[in-house]
Amino acid sequence: MGLFTELKDSISRVTERLFSEQEPKRIGIYGPPNAGKTTLANRIARDWTGDAVGAESHVPHETRRARRKENVEIERDGKTVTIDIVDTPGVTTKVDYEEFTDEMSKDDAIRRSREATEGVAEAMHWLREDVDGVIYVLDSAEDPITQVNTMLIGIIESRDLPVLIFANKIDLEESSVKRIEDAFPQHETIPLSAKEGDNMDEVYDSIAEYFG
Amino acid sequence: MPHQCTNCGRTFADGSKEMLSGCPDCGGNKFQFVPSTSAKSSAAARSRERAEQVSSDDPDGAISRGVETVREFVSDEPSDDRSWPSHDDAETAASDSSSGEFAAWPDSARPPEDRSSAGEEPPASGTPSSGDEPSSVDTSRAGSGTDADTVTSVDDGVRRDGTEDVAQADARSEVVSSEELPAHSARPDDEDERPDHGRVVSEPSDDRPSLEELREELNDQFESIKILRPGQYELNLMELYDREEYIVSLQEDGRYVIDVPDSWRDAE
Repeated sequence: MGLFTELKDSISRVTERLFSEQEPKRIGIYGPPNAGKTTLANRIARDWTGDAVGAESHVPHETRRARRKENVEIERDGKTVTIDIVDTPGVTTKVDYEEFTDEMSKDDAIRRSREATEGVAEAMHWLREDVDGVIYVLDSAEDPITQVNTMLIGIIESRDLPVLIFANKIDLEESSVKRIEDAFPQHETIPLSAKEGDNMDEVYDSIAEYFG
Repeated sequence: MPHQCTNCGRTFADGSKEMLSGCPDCGGNKFQFVPSTSAKSSAAARSRERAEQVSSDDPDGAISRGVETVREFVSDEPSDDRSWPSHDDAETAASDSSSGEFAAWPDSARPPEDRSSAGEEPPASGTPSSGDEPSSVDTSRAGSGTDADTVTSVDDGVRRDGTEDVAQADARSEVVSSEELPAHSARPDDEDERPDHGRVVSEPSDDRPSLEELREELNDQFESIKILRPGQYELNLMELYDREEYIVSLQEDGRYVIDVPDSWRDAE
């Protein structure tokens, strides 16, 4: 049953894709799990449309399907930039249900794990052909030099997609924006706290500039 | 009757020189050797004959005879022969005597059409069955004829022996030791040979780990999602990114559903 729903969803996505060629640019929000991607997407969506994109959670892989918020109009300096925001599941090379068993039953953890894996597959696939630009969100309290980050940013670069690196969670004590800047000096890094709403003006300026 | 013409079936006694110029009945120049204990005789005479062979060159008959010699040798000698410093014979013998393969032989190594008893030596030239090391080559060769008793088994590995056939090597050894040969002919082919033998001996124990390694390697190369067990997955991000289709749904039983590009659907 769930399978049919998913299939239907996926077919409707394909259909959407076909008719969305002239639509606003799709900006994929990518990054490792728990970097704050959904929090950021929700913040952007709430700021400009009043709706949220999806549920946020401290448990990794809360977002297990890419979720899109369409026609987000961002006004900057009198101009309006319209984008579709695609919030993607956190990209990782390993998913293990045992990470979640503290938070939920084993069955639920296994299901979450499976769905998260599907979500990563989907997100990687979308990166291939369905996004026009990328916001790469990192937890600035974590070491940014990981296999996943290096690989993903490499892929994004190989596609020549415009990319902004968001150093999220600057409200945390251990946060180090410089560590991220040093790790990816070839890209612009914008510090922010999506949760607290810190530095969002610069965030929107950058989005308008890069993806407008 | 150790030798039999593969064409007409005529048989020849071991040591017979009749067949050296081809089968008298049909002209065929391929013979198969039927091992028999009586074949282990007259090694000394044979090595003398072999020396003659080496000293002259005659293309076609010689080639097939050489092949035959090798084949016979192979079928009758212990595996240690691979220590003999040559390698071309191996392929030739294995490929059943297509004459072209002998092109690499030095002219001096080609026996005359009428040379004697190339076919006889299989059992005789006997190298010691223990002679895996190149160092054993000389002794075995020098002792040809007396080593016949050591001939104990049929071994495919023998085919790898080398650029000289048995007769040639045997004859040559009376004049020149293997160390004096040019590098290419002196090179022992043990490397080629040993894997085969080693596998026979150690296959049961070795195969399992290598299979696992292979599977690991294949997984690394081809799998986009590795299911360690339900709820535990490893993802090959590059592969997931590179695929045209993508995995929509993982099933409990290990099956999964993929979304294929529209172009694939059209093709159906």
